[in-house]
Amino acid sequence: MATAAAYVARRRRTQGAGLDRVLPYLLLAPTLLLVLAVVVYPIVYGVRQSFLNFRFGHAVGSVGFDNYRQLFHDPAFGQALWVTLKFVALAVTVETVLGLGLALLVAGALPFTRVARLVLVVPMIVTPIVVGIVFRLIYASDVGLLTTLRKDIFGGGPVFILDKGWSAFLGLVALDVWEWTPLMFLILLAGIQSLPVEPFEAARVDGAGGWRIFVDQTLPMLRSVLAVAIALRTIDAFTTFDQVFVLTKGGPGTSTQLISIYGYNTSFKFAEFGYGTAMLLAVALVVLALAALAVRLIRREARQ
Amino acid sequence: MRRWLGAAVLLLVVVIVLVPIAFMVGTSFKSNAEITQDLHLWPHTWTFANYSRLFRDSYFAQYFRNSFVVCGASVLVSLVCGSLAAYSLARFRLLAGLEKRLGFGILTVRILPPVVIVVPLFLVALKFHLLNSWLGLILVYSAFNVSFVVWMMESFFREIPLDLEEASMVDGSSRMTAFRRIVLPLAAPGLVATAIFAVIVTYNEFLVALVLTSSPGSQTVPVGASTLITRIDIDWGAMSAAGTLAAVPIVVFALIVQRHLVRGLTLGAVK
Repeated sequence: MATAAAYVARRRRTQGAGLDRVLPYLLLAPTLLLVLAVVVYPIVYGVRQSFLNFRFGHAVGSVGFDNYRQLFHDPAFGQALWVTLKFVALAVTVETVLGLGLALLVAGALPFTRVARLVLVVPMIVTPIVVGIVFRLIYASDVGLLTTLRKDIFGGGPVFILDKGWSAFLGLVALDVWEWTPLMFLILLAGIQSLPVEPFEAARVDGAGGWRIFVDQTLPMLRSVLAVAIALRTIDAFTTFDQVFVLTKGGPGTSTQLISIYGYNTSFKFAEFGYGTAMLLAVALVVLALAALAVRLIRREARQ
Repeated sequence: MRRWLGAAVLLLVVVIVLVPIAFMVGTSFKSNAEITQDLHLWPHTWTFANYSRLFRDSYFAQYFRNSFVVCGASVLVSLVCGSLAAYSLARFRLLAGLEKRLGFGILTVRILPPVVIVVPLFLVALKFHLLNSWLGLILVYSAFNVSFVVWMMESFFREIPLDLEEASMVDGSSRMTAFRRIVLPLAAPGLVATAIFAVIVTYNEFLVALVLTSSPGSQTVPVGASTLITRIDIDWGAMSAAGTLAAVPIVVFALIVQRHLVRGLTLGAVK
């Protein structure tokens, strides 16, 4: 009897209405506290800072929306925005086209696809700082890979990449393409391999050529996977920092000064924390809009 | 014909991916004289001089220790907190459909790049004396990781049939016992994949560590490697040795989970 009563009491305690009702919230509490303390609180704090004026790293007074207004009158910000947009557009386009082309080519069973997939994973998981170092070594005009190749193969002189604005910019795009085309390729390959076979066979029976099948069948069915990949890549490229920090620090001049680099310099080199925060929060709004879009796409895709 | 073309292109891509990395690794084993004068792809005489110089003249051993502690602690914290939260979101109905909205908000936190909140993070860390400490980095990385863990684990938990837990609970075990004995072991592969992915992201993170630490006592490997680069005249040998060393743990980790990598990198959009 006693044990039975204890058993009932225990059941009440663990599964009874009382605890079961708060249990889900108890389980969530540590995570929510962490996110509130480390993400939400700093953002709120940052919004307050963005209305302050800093001199020599100390807040000296409130300036209302001046820090935000300054964005529109700051030519360096405009330039950084323009460089960033150019970089994102060029890099993501090249990566998408190359990744898609490769995925279509490899979609059938090929001899060493497994090994290739293993190798292709490396650029995107290697520390971005190391990717920066790798490309410093490629572009170095005195000891670099390009200079070495030119000398060994053609007997030519040094190759200068990071000394001129336009070539440094293209060098940065090349770095991003090297690092992230494999991800595009792997996502799209997974997408292509999950497509049904019947529509393709039907189209082939109807006598459609390779290009027609691609435009009429593959591309529409691949649209949502493509959208997810492009959205994620765009967000990431928009806030590229590490690789530029190692490769060029934004130079020569401002030719590779992305918004992230300019925001970092404004805050930590010139200690204008108010203006720096305002700038990065403005960027955050753009990224958040993109992220919300990406999350919706991902959820739709993950549910299928 | 198309098969061979595909294979040839794939081979070319593999070469393009590998040659730059091989050049860095090769350079790290060349003597400084060979680096600056010979200009060959691969070292003629192998030397460990760059590595011994790296450990003698910089704090690289300490950077590794910092990275391992910060990475291990933050991944552990985020796994424990995140799994519990994910279980809650996957199995319970909360007030006002909170379980759906929280999932959305938490994933947005994951996608939000650190650069947009790095200045406020610095100011807050300054206020609470968390600069130059393991604790500051651990807290920040735990929060970043936990959102990822919740997102991944929620989908793994959903794949486990509800009947198993219910059967165990009918037999008298409590909800948390069922979670520990039934659900967690079944979700173990997912947990491992998530953990390793979190380790990769955390180990690689640069900007937050750069901003929150400025002394070798707490700087992580990527920050330590970047301090070698900013010197006036570049020591190419030491730099490539640093790059090679920094990359080794992460490449090993990634190869273990490479099957799960795409799912992780696309936040579950592609399985």
